Order: sequence, then C-alpha cells, then structure tokens
Amino acid sequence: MIVCLGLIALSSLAQESTALFVRADRILVQPGEETTGAVLIENGIIVAVGPGVAAPEGAREISGAVVCAGYLDAWSSLGVEPASVRDGKTSPATSVLDGLDLFSNDHLRLDSLESGVTALRIQSGVEAEVGGLSAVVRNDPGQDGPGAVLMEDACVAATIGVTRNGKTVDVFDRVDEVDDIADLVEAGLAYRESWLDYEEKLAEWEKEIAEKEEELEKDFKKAKKKRDEDIEEAEEKGKEHKEKKYKEDKKPKRPRTDTDKETMARVGSGEIPLVVEVHRYPEIRELLDRTESFDRLRLILAGATEAKPFADELAMRRIPVIVWPTPMGVTRPDEFRMHDLELAATLDDAGVQVLFGSGGHGAARDLPALAALAVGHGLDRTAAFEALTLGPARSFDVAQRIGSVERGKDADLLVLDGDPLDVATRARFVILRGEVVVER
Amino acid sequence: MITTLLVSSLALSGAAVAPQPSFAVRAAAVHLADGTTLEDGVLWVENGTIRAVGRGVEPPAGTPFIEHDGALSAGIVAAHTHMGGGDGLQDSTRAFLPEARVLHAFEPKHSDFERALAAGITTAVLAPRETNVAGGRIAVVKTSGGTVLERDGHLHLSLHTTALWGWREPTSWPGALAHLERRLEEREGPFAEIASGERSVIIEAWDRHEVSRALEFATSHGLRGALRGGHRAGELARRVRSSGLSMIVGPFAPGEDREHLRSVVALAEAGVPLAFGLDAPASDPEALRLSAALCVREGLEPQTAWRALTSTAAQVAGVADRVGSLERGLDADFVLWSGPPLELTSRVEAVYIGGELVFGGAR
Amino acid sequence: MRNVLSTVCVLALASSATAQDDAGPWVIRADRVYTAAGEVFEGGFVAVANGKIVGVGPGGGGAGDELEAVCVTPGMVDLGARVVTHPDAVEQSTEVAASMRVAHALDLFDPRWKRELESGVTTVLATPPDSNVIGGLCIAVKTGGLTDVASRTVRADVALRGSFGTQPSQGNQSSSGTPQTFYVRRPTTRMGVEWTIRKAFYDALAGAQDPERDFEGADVLRRVLDGELVLGAQAWSTQDIRTAIYVKEEFGIERMFVDAAAEAWKEPDLLVRSGMAVVLPPLSFDGRVGPENAFFSWHSARELDELGVPFALSGHGAADPAARLAYQGGLAMRGGLSLEAALAAVTLAPARMIGIDDRVGSLEVGKDADLLLWSGTPFQPTSRIIGVMLDGRLVVDRREASE
Repeated sequence: MIVCLGLIALSSLAQESTALFVRADRILVQPGEETTGAVLIENGIIVAVGPGVAAPEGAREISGAVVCAGYLDAWSSLGVEPASVRDGKTSPATSVLDGLDLFSNDHLRLDSLESGVTALRIQSGVEAEVGGLSAVVRNDPGQDGPGAVLMEDACVAATIGVTRNGKTVDVFDRVDEVDDIADLVEAGLAYRESWLDYEEKLAEWEKEIAEKEEELEKDFKKAKKKRDEDIEEAEEKGKEHKEKKYKEDKKPKRPRTDTDKETMARVGSGEIPLVVEVHRYPEIRELLDRTESFDRLRLILAGATEAKPFADELAMRRIPVIVWPTPMGVTRPDEFRMHDLELAATLDDAGVQVLFGSGGHGAARDLPALAALAVGHGLDRTAAFEALTLGPARSFDVAQRIGSVERGKDADLLVLDGDPLDVATRARFVILRGEVVVER
Repeated sequence: MITTLLVSSLALSGAAVAPQPSFAVRAAAVHLADGTTLEDGVLWVENGTIRAVGRGVEPPAGTPFIEHDGALSAGIVAAHTHMGGGDGLQDSTRAFLPEARVLHAFEPKHSDFERALAAGITTAVLAPRETNVAGGRIAVVKTSGGTVLERDGHLHLSLHTTALWGWREPTSWPGALAHLERRLEEREGPFAEIASGERSVIIEAWDRHEVSRALEFATSHGLRGALRGGHRAGELARRVRSSGLSMIVGPFAPGEDREHLRSVVALAEAGVPLAFGLDAPASDPEALRLSAALCVREGLEPQTAWRALTSTAAQVAGVADRVGSLERGLDADFVLWSGPPLELTSRVEAVYIGGELVFGGAR
Repeated sequence: MRNVLSTVCVLALASSATAQDDAGPWVIRADRVYTAAGEVFEGGFVAVANGKIVGVGPGGGGAGDELEAVCVTPGMVDLGARVVTHPDAVEQSTEVAASMRVAHALDLFDPRWKRELESGVTTVLATPPDSNVIGGLCIAVKTGGLTDVASRTVRADVALRGSFGTQPSQGNQSSSGTPQTFYVRRPTTRMGVEWTIRKAFYDALAGAQDPERDFEGADVLRRVLDGELVLGAQAWSTQDIRTAIYVKEEFGIERMFVDAAAEAWKEPDLLVRSGMAVVLPPLSFDGRVGPENAFFSWHSARELDELGVPFALSGHGAADPAARLAYQGGLAMRGGLSLEAALAAVTLAPARMIGIDDRVGSLEVGKDADLLLWSGTPFQPTSRIIGVMLDGRLVVDRREASE
C-alpha cells in the first residue's frame, strides 16, 4: 500500500511542479518563532521562508494575514469505519489503516480540513483495552491523494478504565487493566529477548557445527582407519559391528512468530510510542509505577482527567499528555467526573508537553476552538499553538515532515485571516503538499 | 491583570470584599451591548447599580478606582438552564403544571451556580424540563447572592416529542394542542394571561416540524415570547421572524452538526432575536460561550453573538430593565476579562454582581 | 486533478435548488388533455395563471410560457396516502378523539410528502394513524408548497376518521397482558371497537338532549350525523365493511366512505343499498393485503365500477414505486377498468368523496392548477410523469431527463 502511494506521489509530482508563493503579514515559523515575508513552495516542499523570499516567474501567488503549519489532531478516529472505531476485540498489531472508510463522513473530514486540521492521528478500537496501531494521516479529501499516510505505525493505542459500550469498568478491573498493559509490554520485550536469544544460540550452534565438520574433514583418514580396525575386531569376536553414531548438538528451537508481541516489542523498545487513555488518579498512579522500569518505553497519556497531581512527575519522565479541552456537563461518563478545563495549563506550567486531541469523537473540526478554550483556562498561547502543531508532530515522529513552516518540510499549511486562536479566524486557503485544497 | 488603586484615603485595607457604595473601574476595553467597544472606558458603580459608563466619565474625587488592563463587559445571561434543579423539574404523572413555579426549586448555594460564575454568567433563567407540555413558570435569578429578578416569569410549554409520554395524557401533538387550545379559552389563570399577552411563553420546539407546529400554535393565538430549540429551523427563519417570537438556541458541543449552527446563522440573518440557552447542569457553563464561538465560526456576526449572550438574552428573559447591558440604572453585574469576552482565549478574572466582587479579583 | 473545494460553490448550489420553480403564467399543450370531467381534448391546452386554471380546451391557447407533453391529467388525489405515521400523532389517552386535529400532527418535512408529490399525487387527505377508534378530524392538504400547514390546506376539518377492525384494539395491552393506565378503558377486540364507535354516536345524540352528558368532541360526531361532515372509516375485511354499512344505515350517515376496503367486492348488494363509497387499498400481486389479510383482485375496481359504487384508488404512501398511486390506475386497467374510470378513481372521485372537487380533481376553469405532464398515455407501463404542476408552479420537471 505504501509503495503504491509512493508511486502515485512520484507521478503526480511530475505533473504538478508549479510553485506556490504565499505572502503573509505573519509567518508562524514554529511555536515561539515568527517572521514576515513569504513562503515559497516547490514540488510540495517548502523551499524558502522569510522576508527576502521573492516569487519566481510563473508561481501562483496567494496571500493572507497569517501563515502557519496545519494542525494535527492527536486523538481522532475520523475517516475510520464506524464498526472498527467501536471494535472491542482489537489487539496490538491491529492496524487502523485496515479499517479506513474512504467514503463515509466525507463532510466531517472536509469540515475539519476547512478549519485547519491537516493531519490526524487516527485509531480504531477507541474503547478497546488495546486499540492497536494508530497512523498519522494527512487529512486529504478522499484520502487517496499523494502521501496520505504520514506515519504508518505511529503508536499503539490502549485504554484503561474507560466506559465501554456505556458500561463503567469496576475499580479492581481498572487496576488489572494497568497490569494487562504492562504485561503486554513485558511480554513484548521477553518475546524480542527470546528471538535475540534464539538468534544468538542459532549462530553459536551453526558455528559449532561448522567447526565440527571441519575437524571431521581433517581427521577423515584417521577416522576411517579406526573404523576399519573396529570392524575387524568385531568380526574376530563374532559380534556385529555397531556404527558409532555422530551425536549432533541440539539445534535451538525457533520461537513462535507472534505479531502482537512483536508490535509490543517495538513499543517496549521505544521504536513507537504507547498512547494510553487513562483518567483516574489510581490508574495513572499504577500506570506510572508499572512502566517506570521500562526505560525505553515512550509513554503518552490521553485524557488524563485527574493528572494534575502528577504534573511534575510527567514532566520529569518526559511523558506528553493529549488533552481534550471540551466543556462537559454533569452527564459526562464516570471517568471524566473530575474533568477540568485547566488541566492543560497546569500540565504545561509544570513543563509537560501538552498535545490536543478532539477525543476520537469526530469533533476534529472544532479543535482550534478547543485550543482557544484551553488558553481561556490558563494555558500559554504559544503552548496551545504548539499543542496543535509541532508538539504532536514530534511525539509521533513526523516532525521532520510537518508541524512547522521550515525549509525542507512538506507544505501542509494554512493561510488564515487572523490569529489561529481567535474566534472569527477562518482559513482562507488550506494547502496540502503545496496544493491548494480549500479556498474561500 | 487587575490592580486596585486606592485613590480614596477613606478606603480601608480590609474592605476589599465588602461592597463599596461607590467605585469605578477603568478598563482597557469596555464592551457594550451594541457590540461597540470603548477604549479606556470607565464604569462608575454606585450602590450596586451602574451610575455611568463612558470614556469621559469622571466620578467625584475620592472614588476608589480599579484599573484593569483587559476587557470589561456586562455579565452573561444564560437564557435557559436547569441549574440547581436536579431531577425536580419535571413531573412524570401530569403533563400540565401551569401553576408550578421553578422558583421553588431554586437553591442559591448550589454548586451549579459557582461554575456559572466562573464562566462569567451572572444571570440565569431557571426553566422546567422540556418533558412537560406545560411545565410551569420560569424564574430568573442571579448566580450569586440569591437575588431573584423574576419570581413568576414566562409560562414554559413544550411541543417537543419528549413531552409526549406513552402512559400520561396527552400522548400526541393533536392531544396536546387540543388541550392547550381548550385552556386558552379560560378566563383567568396563566393561560388567560398568555392569551391576552400579559405573560410570555417559552415553547420547546426542536425539529423543523415541531418549530412549524409551535409557530402555527403561537401565531394563531397571538402568543409572545420565545421558542426554545430550533436546531434545524433555519429554513423557517422568515416565519419565525414574522411571528415576533425570539429563539433560544444551543448549547452546542464540539463537533455539533453544522446544520444546527447554520440554522442559528439563518435565524440571525432573518432578524430573529437570539439568545443562547445552556441546559446546565447537563452542559458545562463554558458551553455557552463555546456555543457562541462555534456559531461565529459558522458565520454569525460577533456582535449578534455577543448580544445573544447578554442584552437580547435579558430581553428574552424579560429582565432587560435590570441586567444584560452596561447602562445607567441597571444592576452593576459585570465581568473583567483578560481579553475580548467573545474570544475563548480570554479568561474570566473577576465577576461582580450588584457591585460586589463574587468571583476572582485582584491577583 | 484534485477538486478545489469552494464553499461559495456549495452555497450557490443550495440556493438555486430551492428557488427554482416558476409561477407562470403557463400554457401547457398536449396531444391529449384528460380533464377527468368527462372530456378528452385531442391537441388540447391548459392555460394557467396565478395558480389557477384559466383555460382548457382543444387547440387555441393563451399567453404564457409554453410547456409540452404527450398527455396532461389533473394532479392525483389520494384519500389513503397515510402521510402521518409518527407515534406522537396518536392520542392514546382516549379511544374517541373526535375533536383532535390531525393537522396538528403533520410533519411537512417528512420525505413522504416529496415522494407523493414526485409520483404525481398533489392532494392528500391526512388521516391519523389508525390506533384510535375515532381518530380525529382530517385535513385535505397539498403535497408541496411552503412548509406551513395553512398555506397548503385545501380544506381543514374535511372528514372524521374512524377505524373498524382489529387495528385500534391492538397495543391496548402491556406486555404482561394487563392493560395499564388509560389503556384499561380501551377495546381489545373487534366487537369492542364496533361497540365503541356506536356508543360514541349514541352518547353524542344523548349529549344533544342533555348537556350534562355532553362531552369533548360530541359536536363533531353530531356534525357527521347531520350530514355536514364526512365519515371516513378504515375497514379492510368483509365483517368490518358490513359493520361500517350497518353503522351508516343505523345512524343515517349520509356522507361516508370506507377506506382500505379490499373486500368490498364481496358485498355488492349492501354497498349499492347503502350508497357507501369505497377507497381501495393498493392492489397487490398476491391478493392478500393489510393487517386483516383481506383478499381482493385487480378485477375489484372494475366490479365496483360496474355496480356504480363511487370508488377511488389509493397508494397508502407506498415507498415501493410499483405500489404508488400512479401505478394503481394501470393495475386496475389490467383488471378491465377503462382509462377514463381509472383516471377518475385517482382524481375527481376521491375529491368528490370529501367535497373538495370545487378546488381539485379535474381540469376545469377556476380550479387549482394541479396537473401532471405525461410522456405517453397515462397509466401505461411505458409512460412516465415528466412534470408535476402544483398551484401553477412546475415543482417537478423531468422533461430533459426523459428526452
């Protein structure tokens, strides 16, 4: 699938090589860094940013008040087929990309694109204990355009103690769920260990065999003479000659292949992060304790309703948190009982990397409004902008391609008529890989 | 940030919380009900009411001044809530309780009101639930101090499908309307009052056909007041306008169906007076400003959105002579914000009701 | 090349879709104009202005935008369209809801209206769902137009709805078998339904004598007895049709029709004797229809026609195109009915039954300009309705698609 998309990308690049020149009063290069002038895009890539950039001949010129990177919704299931979203039987190796539905919810994807969400971390099995492999995808209309998938295996998603199918998980089971996840990581690491062990032993074994064979080769004549003597002696004694059997070293047994454990091994070794939706104090406590020994694990919390007391610890352990800054009334699910719009501010103040997600509930369109609301509840503006752009791009290893307006990155940009966090701001242009996909 | 300058030598150091008979606030931006903004405006409060608002307002020398480098606005009016009411705002055995008063379910110290204050809401309409055809009369209260602005307000009716239960009479729209029309012929009582226009109504009507039905009912009997709901009433906007009824909309959540938001824009464009309702505690008080913001993103004029949170909401609730705008003689209910009040990025820094600091304050 | 999304474009499309129809004046020319009032004009015309028919006849014409069709007929009238199906349209607290108005239960945004209009039905009698013995006052409304009931009304309070048979008695028990709350007063048998309807009329008569015994809706029932109001009663099977006829004769009800009367063909003598009018349910392919599993055939319409019984066809709001009213005429013709009689059975006959034939039902000067443009002879399987005009507005236009 990836190969195929790559081919499309190449062929379409050949066709559309027109440059795009975007002039703006403010260019939000990256959180905390601003410039003015223009952004030049060629072949879908940002090639120049700043005051001195001039428009090459033949380039399409557009302009606006503000240019910034498109937003990345760190917690969504938009574009995933509904049954896969609710699937409760997913496992670590279940890939969300197998559950894409390219034909439903188009209007929701378009709406969110118009509001500036150009990329999404999508997951299936949002209520399952283990939802499986998430992907970071470009919010491409139809998701069939070049390079729709930015990161195939962006993380493994899991949940602890969330309300599933309207049912609240009981107190003891919630803590068990922490154990389940920690056990999965352990099993993954053990699995990898067993493979490494196997490979090591196999190599050893192969080496020994080779040595032995060499030795045998060398001693062949001597051995034959000895054998002849043995046969003679046996005949003399009237006995049957018994061939001395060659005792081969036992070959190491190959472990069974297990894609789930393999996936968890990737998580445990820090190749890909583990996103855990967890809300209540005891479960967060338990999760932090149980994962402390996994020194390479890259844990990311989602929701984290009652995480305020852990802010310093999360900052110290560099665990990012995906916050869902939405207002909730009394009818909220049990795990959100202590929901507080000031969570993002508290975490950021302590130095935790805050990311924003629309909660996997199709509200990606209103992510910028939710980010603004978090600012209204104490979050620093720059941190809020970072939580929409570079923060999630870094956490999900796509920062080399998206998340800021820098030379060499993919041109997934917004041309806004005002500040990203202002209520009346609208995206006049949305650009994906250098192509204007929304214009109004 | 708020700094209290004790200009007056009379001001006592320990009197920060006690209401001052006269004080003034100078804010970097004063947001008025009509959507205009005064730079470096002054609000002069005397005995809990607004004495003057303007750029050149000069209270007598010695009046304590509060300097605020952010925005100042009237307190927000939540046009429809069930705050502090718990489950006590519906009757499962009788559909008609026109004599009931929600005031009797009002608990001033309920935590719902604290949350409302934190969101800049200073006045709340307390309404019965939409599950009774005639649920009772609304009350209008302040969110702090137990002040009641209206004890015996609009009669709350519901033509929403949830008012029609399977085991309680009526079970149908024809049944509900037959009953209502019969009651409208009464010579006295709440129905006589709404028929004569003495008393306003709030009619719950959400889907298009419910709105259409409510409009036909209200206009044929000359009722005045507001419709509550109108999620998909956009295409009926002109009819709503010509009925003279207002519309109480919201609350809207992130990811709200765009048709609901477009409906609000269409109603506003047709000139229907709009107010934002909250249905708290089922929704968070912050959902009120978020609802307005989502509508603005959909194309609602920011001024209209702001009025729907304040002055128009007060008019719809029938208390515009007391709250909803910064005008001389009105209650000194106002909010100090870190920035423009309609911006979600703006924080509530202080809330005053009747000239008294009830939330936040100098930090 | 990728589409560039433009909100402006989307908005433009949305607004153009709503403000499309043109109010005329029109001149519609056709190879044959079927007036349904006894005349067929070869090479005829219909002239329309201000929503009314201002001229109809052979040749000639008038001023206005021209429309052409192979055939033109009046818009169809369906007395059994069942456009009200919402559970909240049923008042369960009483079995006799005579004064309640089905107009209050209309949902003009229900897709059924559009479906009816597009299939050529321009006027329907809105009846309540038959969960009450006396379901209330019916309203005759147009299937298109603005979204307020008043502007669509042909005539309000045009008939009282009754229902015989088992349907009103169903649902009057809880799952445990014991009726609860007000359901305890309601009939649970066919005889109970019949008893309830007769008791209602006797009580209304008694109420006229003794104000103490008068009740809500009694005046409506008395208007039926006085011949001022039509009684339209559902009666699928023989026993229910017989019961309806006995009630008609017992109370001397002048204006009455039985709706969904599939088995009317079984009682020719009683029908003729009582002067009962009949609305047939949609003809089915296996002959068994409705909640009573009543039986009838495609010949039934012809048989009623031969008896001289006033009858109409109905589509019952079917979603299936093969059951809609435009096809019912064709099915009845397969059973031997003439084209003229089939046309009358979906236009003028039903209009007469509820007394709205001064407004709709035929192409005559002064009537509402509700008409259908056909690509061929009406009711032929190969013919299509290529245009629907409602109150002088061309609300369905498929002329280009059919070319």
